[in-house]
Amino acid sequence: MSLDQVTDGLAISFDLNGERLSLSAPPAERLSEFLRERAGARDVKVGCNAGDCGACTVLVDGLPVCSCTTAAAQVEGRRVETQSGLAKADPDGQALVAAFQRHQAAQCGICTPGMMVSAVALLREVAEPSEAQVQDALGGVLCRCTGYRKIIDAVRDAKGSASVAPGGVGTAMARVDGLPKVTGTEAFGDDVAPAGALTLRVIRSPHHRAAFTFGDIEAWRAANGLDLVLTAADVPGVNRFGVIPGFEDQPVMAEGEAKFRGEAVAAVVGAGERLAMLDLADFPVRWTPLPHALTPEEGLTAALLHEERAGNIMCRGLVQRGDAEAALAGAAHVVEGDFSTGFIEHGYIEPEAGFAERVGDRIEVHCCTQAPYMNRDAVAKVMGLAPEGVRIVPTAVGGGFGSKLDLTTQPFLALAAWKLGRPVRMAFTRTESISSSTKRHPSQVTMRLGVNADGTLAGADFFGTFNTGAYASWGPTVANRVPIHASGPYRFADYRARSVAVHTNCTPSGAFRGFGVPQSAVAQEQLLDMAAEALGLDKLEIRRRNALTNGDETVTGQVFDTGMGILDCLDALKPHWDRAKAEAAAFNAAAIGTKRRGIGVASGWYGCGNTSMSNPSTIRAGITADGRIVLHQGAVDIGQGSNTVISQIFATALGVPVERIERVSPDTDLTPDAGKTSASRQTFITGNAARLCGEALRAQVLRLGNVSEAAVIEITPGAIRLTDGGAERVVPLSGEGYALEATESYDPPTKPLDENGQGDPYAVFGTTAQMAELEVDTALGTVKLLKITAAHDVGKAINPLLVEGQVEGGVAQGIGLALMEEFLPGRTENLHDYLIPTIGDVPPVDTLIVETGDMHGPYGAKGLGEHCLIPTAPAILNAIADACGARVHHLPATPATVRAAILAAAT
Amino acid sequence: MRPFHYSRPSSLAEALIDMRDALAAEPNSSAAFLAGGTTQLDLMKLEVSRPDRLVDLNALRGEAGHIRWDGTSLRLGAFARMAEAADHPDVRARAPMIAQSLSLAASAQLRNMATLGGNVLQRTRCAYFRDTSWSACNKRVPGSGCAALDGVNRAHAVLGTSDHCIATYPGDFAQALLALDASVVIAGPGGGRTIPFARLHRAPGTTPHLETSLRPGEIIAEFIVPAGGWFRRSLYLKVRDRQSYEFAVASAAVALDLEGDTVREARVALGGVATVPWRAREAEALLRGRKLTEEAARAAAQAAFTEAAPHAHNAFKVELGQETLVRALLQLATMETPR
Repeated sequence: MSLDQVTDGLAISFDLNGERLSLSAPPAERLSEFLRERAGARDVKVGCNAGDCGACTVLVDGLPVCSCTTAAAQVEGRRVETQSGLAKADPDGQALVAAFQRHQAAQCGICTPGMMVSAVALLREVAEPSEAQVQDALGGVLCRCTGYRKIIDAVRDAKGSASVAPGGVGTAMARVDGLPKVTGTEAFGDDVAPAGALTLRVIRSPHHRAAFTFGDIEAWRAANGLDLVLTAADVPGVNRFGVIPGFEDQPVMAEGEAKFRGEAVAAVVGAGERLAMLDLADFPVRWTPLPHALTPEEGLTAALLHEERAGNIMCRGLVQRGDAEAALAGAAHVVEGDFSTGFIEHGYIEPEAGFAERVGDRIEVHCCTQAPYMNRDAVAKVMGLAPEGVRIVPTAVGGGFGSKLDLTTQPFLALAAWKLGRPVRMAFTRTESISSSTKRHPSQVTMRLGVNADGTLAGADFFGTFNTGAYASWGPTVANRVPIHASGPYRFADYRARSVAVHTNCTPSGAFRGFGVPQSAVAQEQLLDMAAEALGLDKLEIRRRNALTNGDETVTGQVFDTGMGILDCLDALKPHWDRAKAEAAAFNAAAIGTKRRGIGVASGWYGCGNTSMSNPSTIRAGITADGRIVLHQGAVDIGQGSNTVISQIFATALGVPVERIERVSPDTDLTPDAGKTSASRQTFITGNAARLCGEALRAQVLRLGNVSEAAVIEITPGAIRLTDGGAERVVPLSGEGYALEATESYDPPTKPLDENGQGDPYAVFGTTAQMAELEVDTALGTVKLLKITAAHDVGKAINPLLVEGQVEGGVAQGIGLALMEEFLPGRTENLHDYLIPTIGDVPPVDTLIVETGDMHGPYGAKGLGEHCLIPTAPAILNAIADACGARVHHLPATPATVRAAILAAAT
Repeated sequence: MRPFHYSRPSSLAEALIDMRDALAAEPNSSAAFLAGGTTQLDLMKLEVSRPDRLVDLNALRGEAGHIRWDGTSLRLGAFARMAEAADHPDVRARAPMIAQSLSLAASAQLRNMATLGGNVLQRTRCAYFRDTSWSACNKRVPGSGCAALDGVNRAHAVLGTSDHCIATYPGDFAQALLALDASVVIAGPGGGRTIPFARLHRAPGTTPHLETSLRPGEIIAEFIVPAGGWFRRSLYLKVRDRQSYEFAVASAAVALDLEGDTVREARVALGGVATVPWRAREAEALLRGRKLTEEAARAAAQAAFTEAAPHAHNAFKVELGQETLVRALLQLATMETPR
């Protein structure tokens, strides 16, 4: 029988997780939206709405499909299964829940439903799948956090059982917040809005630069039955935001001229169904395209984007010591080169999302964010409210990597909810997420590196130009950080590094894992290999010979007494390097076709925390009369594992089992400021605050019981039992709220940099050396990665499995940077034109954890997040050169680029 | 997305009537069929496709969802899912190229939904076509121009282009069908017809919006792939910017019938480099009767790209396309084929 009706109101009957449902919906509504909004299945996650990311995978009649490219009408009469149903009732689903926890296969958790649903379908067919079978079955689901290796491990070990018991510092325990991620109950930015919330969509510029005027907005609003249209005129406070004091230059909605493609000019608010039927291209705005600048060269001579910044130069950075020019003149060999990298998109699978509601004379914003307190203060300025008038409640964050530090959804949601007095929600589309959120800065580096005949470094001169886009965001941080790090973790007496950040009509560049350091390492670590070649020196050896050690001065003149562990990392690689070198040589000697193997090494270092700036974290904790131990943990866990690490540190400091700790999650009303989740600072800085807080609370307990430091604490309802030697004491607990409570802060000791960039910018550096083994097809230019070996000095691994997870995820992003990623404004605003590595692109990663301790870190621990990807790209590029002699200067090293480099090297 | 009429016919005959009636009532109707939906739904949400009527063909799987070997040909029902064909033992054993082209084309999630008929009709991934904020696209809005000509055209075609469109045909499976001289069984309101697969796609010329020779209201029902001595010695090689699921930068669907090391018959189609599935007949002619040496392979590859017309960013595709074809030919020459 043929049905014939207009879109809304087709009755669709189907089974959802074993339950028969009949729901009315437009037949071409995305199945993902249908399941989430009409059937309440918010465990179905939406990442791209284009079939590219697979987060929305569900089983239809047992087969995994992307529910975003399936029409609701297509499940008529069919059986649909989702993660929550499978986790609850399916034997394979239940086995995967345990295995994902055991292997820490979920980091942020946004791709986890897609991964697990796909894995269930596989396990129903194949009880013990091979790695290749897992890669094929899960190949359609993208993950930006894990590097996929732990997911492969978990699926292949679904039937296994070995697990690590919870424990304090040093224990590879499962995530304390893992269960919701693996059972489909985690609530991300788009999962928390109350029923009936209105929906907001942003009108954005389709031009790189354009003047604009509005038509009759009110008539358009009324004709389309919308509740509200917002423009810059509706901003009650200051229509400017930013992240660096003095650089708040970005309007929530542009006024008169949009400066980049994707810039917001207006927002519309209405019922979700109405907005779904609306083509926003009809919004009454008239554009007059203006000349634009997309590269720094163009930016330097273009019309000023910001009146006060001459030549469109946002800022410069400088570090110099000794006389680099004289040193280069006297060097035995000088190698030099130009290197460039493009815009890199963060590619978190969860687009920016949230909801806001007005509560009395305050505004509350629930959103995915890395920086709740910074968001609070920035939203308050936009709203013309005191900071206390704004509450930011972070949801689970489906990946961040730096871009969720900046304001995205927050001011729009706050403005609309404030004005309408109704809850308002929004989720960025993938296209708007990519076109409007911050990016990794494109870099153009010119560097000269001099070496002495004995293999020591003579001097270096580095000049880096960074395309910082239309607004400042974290550009100043990049410009400052790069000159400090562009030496790599090596000794230089004579060194000069300059950087400049130039405005263009591109999407703003901001923070992305490494703040410019991965870009400078691409140049510096490749030149180091070129210098080794000039000397005929082994490439691991040249790094060993120049590695900074405790007592050496860095290029800013800072001396570390502990924790400069790069030599330990390089030494950890040595046996692997020797093995790989021999294997590659044997392979190439026997090779008759076009495939050649290569190995490459690169080092990296990264200062944890802000550069020469105060950046404290505060942790609060209390013990209630009924014996609960409550940790107010305000550091946002964006998947990296800070909830677990901070709990482990606190439990160890207090001296209680970690499973006794209850967490109060980040909320500017409930948790003190633990700073932003960036700059590899949470384990180090918030970890220290948690340690101090745990120790303070313990000291109170010990004092009350009048027992020694060695006493064992047992906290029970109504009393704390203390055992000290053979003696037992009991401290009664009573009262409302917290019977005992402590709040402690930690701010790392740094010193300002002088005009030559000399000083102590960071209390702690983490160091790393990674090695890539790969195969190049010299005819096609394709690169097949065989293995990455990653040595990381983390000081002390609070949770070794989390360390591995960070490393594998960082390596995957480094692979993307090296081989495939480049954002082109207006051209790659989705996840099929913008490529990130899939499960098939990440080879086995062998993590070598080096623990040299550190005098500042909690239990000797240092940050790790950014370090993981810094050496990956240069190690891969060095391995490509080793394999085929082709030096890739301009990333990404796609087949065409590698082929061109091979041809260039041959002539 | 605009409101539209929706019907869900339960047979091919009914579907043809639904569409015929829609077109009769509104000659300028933008009515569209919905099969697997992975392209159609995507384009509707992008506002690239704005059908006023959607005829849902999902109930037709029983009628045209078959995969079978009839003794002389592989018969592939247009409503079979990509995964069903890719995993089918007859397809894998008899014409590996077909299975490879489907497996390499898309992730398991998409292979489980997308139909074979829909797959060959998938639209280009040209960003200027898919993103309506670009006003110039002759394919989307006839006569509006082509933003790719002076835009970022790294991914665009070098073969079969015109001054009106250089969008690349994105598929993989079609190259296999083309190389193997498949025919297309078409059901239409006025009866059925069968055409060579080579006649299905139209090069852009001056009318890039007309992509196939299907007439209004027609539905692809089946592909018939006749067996030949080249069936088993066949290969689909795909070079991509990402080494896993991704559209081709260059690909080659090649089948060879060898006598010793001499080529009795060669079948070559190219993907990722052309506006339509591209048969390289000059390359085939050069190979026929010759020993399959690297030199012969290179000569054939050169011939295949004689008419290449690169633009600012895609000149690399000529050489990469040639290398891809050379590799495919040489790999096939040494392939063990069970008899």
